Amino acid sequence: MADLMKKRDVPFPLYEVGLLAATDDELMQVSRDMSLSLSLDEMKVIRDYFKKEGRDPTDVELQSLGQAWSEHCCYKSSKPILKEFVFGIDRDDVLSRGDAGVMVFDDDYGYALRIESHNHPSAIEPYGGAATGIGGILRDVVCMGAQPIGLADPLCFGPIDRKGELPPGIKHPRYLVNGVVSGIRDYGNRVGIPTITGGFFFDEKYTGNCLVNVACLGIVKRKDLAKNYAGGPGEVMILIGGRTGRDGIHGVNFASADLTATSDEDSRGAVQLGDPITKEPVMHACFEVNEKHLITGMKDLGGGGLSCVIGEMALDAGCGADVDLEKVPLKEPGLAPWEIWVSESQERMMCTCKPENVDAVLEIFDMWDVLAVPVAKTTDLKRTRLFWDGEPIFDMDLEFLTGGPVYNRPYSMPIVSSKEREEFPELPSDREVILALLSDLNVASKEWAIRQYDHEVRASTAIHPMVGEMNETGPGDASVLIPVPGSVRGLAAAIGCNPWFTEADPYKGGMACIDETCRNLVAVGARPNAFTDCLNFGNPEKPERLGEFREAVRGLGEIARELDIPIPSGNVSLYNEAPGGHHILPTPMILGCGIIPDVRKAVTADFKKSGSCIFLIGRTRDEMGASLLFRKFGGKEGAVPAVDIPALKRITDELLSAMDEGIVLSCHDCSDGGIAVAVAEMCISGQVGAEIDMSGIDLPLQRALYSESCTRWIAEVDGKDVTRFTEIMGGDATLLGITKGAGLHIKDNGTRIPLEEMRAAWNDPIWNIMGGGKQ
Amino acid sequence: MKPQDAKVCVIRIEGTNCEDEMANAFSMLGAQAEKVHLKQLTGQAPAALRRSLEDYDILAFPGGFSAGDYVRAGAIFAARIRAAIGGDVKRFVESGKPVIGVCNGFQILVELGLLPAMEQTMTDAPTAALYNNDSGRFECRPTVLRNDNRGKCLFTSEIPSKALLSIPSAHAEGKLLSNDPDFVQKLEDNDQVVFRYVCPDGSDAVYPWNPNGSPSDIAGICNPAGNVLGMMPHPERVMTRFTHADWTRGYSSEIGDGRAIFESAMKYLEKL
Amino acid sequence: MTVIEIRIELKKGVADPEGKNTKKTLEALGFEGLGEVRSVKLFEVETSLPADEAVKAGEEMCRKLLANPVIQNFKVTVR
Repeated sequence: MADLMKKRDVPFPLYEVGLLAATDDELMQVSRDMSLSLSLDEMKVIRDYFKKEGRDPTDVELQSLGQAWSEHCCYKSSKPILKEFVFGIDRDDVLSRGDAGVMVFDDDYGYALRIESHNHPSAIEPYGGAATGIGGILRDVVCMGAQPIGLADPLCFGPIDRKGELPPGIKHPRYLVNGVVSGIRDYGNRVGIPTITGGFFFDEKYTGNCLVNVACLGIVKRKDLAKNYAGGPGEVMILIGGRTGRDGIHGVNFASADLTATSDEDSRGAVQLGDPITKEPVMHACFEVNEKHLITGMKDLGGGGLSCVIGEMALDAGCGADVDLEKVPLKEPGLAPWEIWVSESQERMMCTCKPENVDAVLEIFDMWDVLAVPVAKTTDLKRTRLFWDGEPIFDMDLEFLTGGPVYNRPYSMPIVSSKEREEFPELPSDREVILALLSDLNVASKEWAIRQYDHEVRASTAIHPMVGEMNETGPGDASVLIPVPGSVRGLAAAIGCNPWFTEADPYKGGMACIDETCRNLVAVGARPNAFTDCLNFGNPEKPERLGEFREAVRGLGEIARELDIPIPSGNVSLYNEAPGGHHILPTPMILGCGIIPDVRKAVTADFKKSGSCIFLIGRTRDEMGASLLFRKFGGKEGAVPAVDIPALKRITDELLSAMDEGIVLSCHDCSDGGIAVAVAEMCISGQVGAEIDMSGIDLPLQRALYSESCTRWIAEVDGKDVTRFTEIMGGDATLLGITKGAGLHIKDNGTRIPLEEMRAAWNDPIWNIMGGGKQ
Repeated sequence: MKPQDAKVCVIRIEGTNCEDEMANAFSMLGAQAEKVHLKQLTGQAPAALRRSLEDYDILAFPGGFSAGDYVRAGAIFAARIRAAIGGDVKRFVESGKPVIGVCNGFQILVELGLLPAMEQTMTDAPTAALYNNDSGRFECRPTVLRNDNRGKCLFTSEIPSKALLSIPSAHAEGKLLSNDPDFVQKLEDNDQVVFRYVCPDGSDAVYPWNPNGSPSDIAGICNPAGNVLGMMPHPERVMTRFTHADWTRGYSSEIGDGRAIFESAMKYLEKL
Repeated sequence: MTVIEIRIELKKGVADPEGKNTKKTLEALGFEGLGEVRSVKLFEVETSLPADEAVKAGEEMCRKLLANPVIQNFKVTVR
């Protein structure tokens, strides 16, 4: 290796790497020693490129390729599959598919949405990893010119009550949860954006590789919608915000490889430290220069740092760029050019502007005490060229650099869970079953986390993440914001994901995730409008893992297309595996947005009063596969719930029109634990009991109670409105019973569970494990 | 003074983050609310952006995490104000104009010595502290306040005595402490207690209805003159019914419980 | 350069949730036999002042910004 690296005779650290004469072994050695994470084939393509250029590459150039060609930056394994199934669902209210997707909100405003993963950094350093995840997703929304208005954080961990030995290098889930929640709290609260929804998914398969997905919504005047690229050649590129340091070097390569037992020590350098207090003025200043139309484009420095942002901003405008790298402000002296070029230090953005506007732009940043330095110019040459005090250190064709390889990797079709092989478990009494399901970590109250997040800052939260009697609340379905002060138009946001369905049957699971998202949105009275997805899967070089990915993507693409709901932004996170190759549950995390024309008509999931009628909406089928009941009590196989897409469309319309007429008192999505758990939750949040009779469902009682068939809701309707309600719902509503008494009463077999017992079973588990007071 | 003539200075530095809704709360009542960076008041801004505190009729300290709440919640913002425009602020208060601080704004007023300020308008060192919640956690939850002021505080003139208001809290440091064993009694004697946390039925608060463990359930206090109010809960978040936590369970008015506090300030200006 | 070391401690009797919470987490990580865990804040301020003046300056810094006398004590040393 030593003889391959030749120091150039300049007064700063710069090496030429002898690639042209290198053997295959030496190519791989270079990839390893420089932490490029590039394969032999990729190294050969690079060698051939430089042969044509007639020279050896510099270390800066190779490092840049390592970043640009990582899975994280160029989606080399996932792109063909995404193209086949999810790209191109077009609707004319998609305003942008930039760093965040932007959809029409009303005549004057658009709303932005984007989700992203921050899995690997959070597994190593949960507090900093989660915090910087929030920082990054905020910048993606800000660089659309949009004011962030809400954060959503779905998280997956091993069981927080896990006992026994942990694999080497793996931290206890409880410790990780504590760190991640603190990171989200401290960053989200400090930057003043409400954390309005999220989710916790607990499973042993996440123990070795937790998932931290972060999503952000924003609002932007349509006339101020920003671009993420330059306006043309001859413009100035201004680097904004934090200084560049060694923190976050090689983050993308790290995100694109499996965790190893020593990731813990090795990768500290790859986890960045966030600074929410820099972020705030950066946001203000960016909005100001954008609203004054002083800039032509802006973009967040995310994965790959300067190396990615400069190339992309130039190339998308059909330009190239000349960069004076020595102008980049540093946290500490002595960084090598390649380190500056690929560092992922936080709180940095880039904007482009016409030369005549540079002074005005710089004055605004100065007013906000935000560092802003012109570092590059766009050119009419499609090349990126770097200079250090005039010395050329980098000169590459942009299309080669950002093009990256694309792979059609082999995959194998998953074997799916089936009804034929089903083994129904032995069950204790329904009373014991329901209390056990309510206290399962995946169902139990997440209040411990939710109340640490400020979910009301900005004063626009109309439907909160927890609903019902104040300080006696239960779970909600979707949160609703009023993004434009003075208006009553609402934006609803909800998470949908069922990794267990997706593991048992990836195609049906992918569909079910979208169905659940829609159910959550419709439950509050919002019409689903757009999705953003974060696809967390395992190592794509393993055919079984890629098969899961392909089938899940096929499922969610198909349903989104049928529903005609676009996915204007998304993110793929592969290589989610723990040491020893233990893979995660395939986890397509969906954030859905819906629009509710008048928030005053929004509906919440808490039963409102005694004496109302309780309806089941939708059809319950014998679909026990991967249900919470089976997972908890040892059932095997079984049919995974399928989505009847025409029914989803029809019922959505029916339910929304009933809500618009104001005759739905409460509504809750029916998911984990089936009808039994959904009704119990509505009792808990409403502080009122229910008496139900399952005989209207043509299935054995336990299947009827706990099946998790898709496209179902529970709705509460006043007796005087029942005729009108059933008229609207056609045959899709089945009367289940009435709200009554102080507990859940299942008439079919006389099961009775007092409200306080259900509340304690649901409320206490996570408080008891994480510590702290109860509500 | 008519509402539309009232000029409100919503002051901010880096890390202030509830300024939009604070300005909005005043705008909803017709006032001209302006978000003003501290630099604009200290002459460190370009000429067109410079402002003078005395041109405003109301001064509002919004919530957030000014300067990251590093050192102590509100301490850095307070120190910067004291150093640069301490005299202006003191004169503003002494002229009787309304000053409100919410959440981090309350913490700043305490650190600035503008509250409780029993002996003088503005003490050199803080005489109280807003300390960590008993739970040790940030608490974002609904709280119910009772108007316990007997008439001194200008921000409650439109709120009946002992009326209950549902106003949410969101903070990690809201426990009002003092070294003085007779602190609460002195506040009472001066009619400086404005709001107490109570249970929804009006009875004495227990956790979580008192979210921070504040002695005597104190949620908000005013200065002896009654024109400076500091409170932990956020009235600007509940200007309409539809941002309350439980409005879907039924309501009688579309007006939110926070509005009366801002209306009281506007009424006070009208009389001037 | 003189370095002023400023140690800010909570007064006796003031609850220390950060310390308490840290202790809980340390125990979760498997550390046994822990007594009280206290959170203390430490500032290092570099100054060109001579040592005796630096102490005075440090104390002034505490009074003006770094400590709230209602809940905190401070100790200033110089090295």
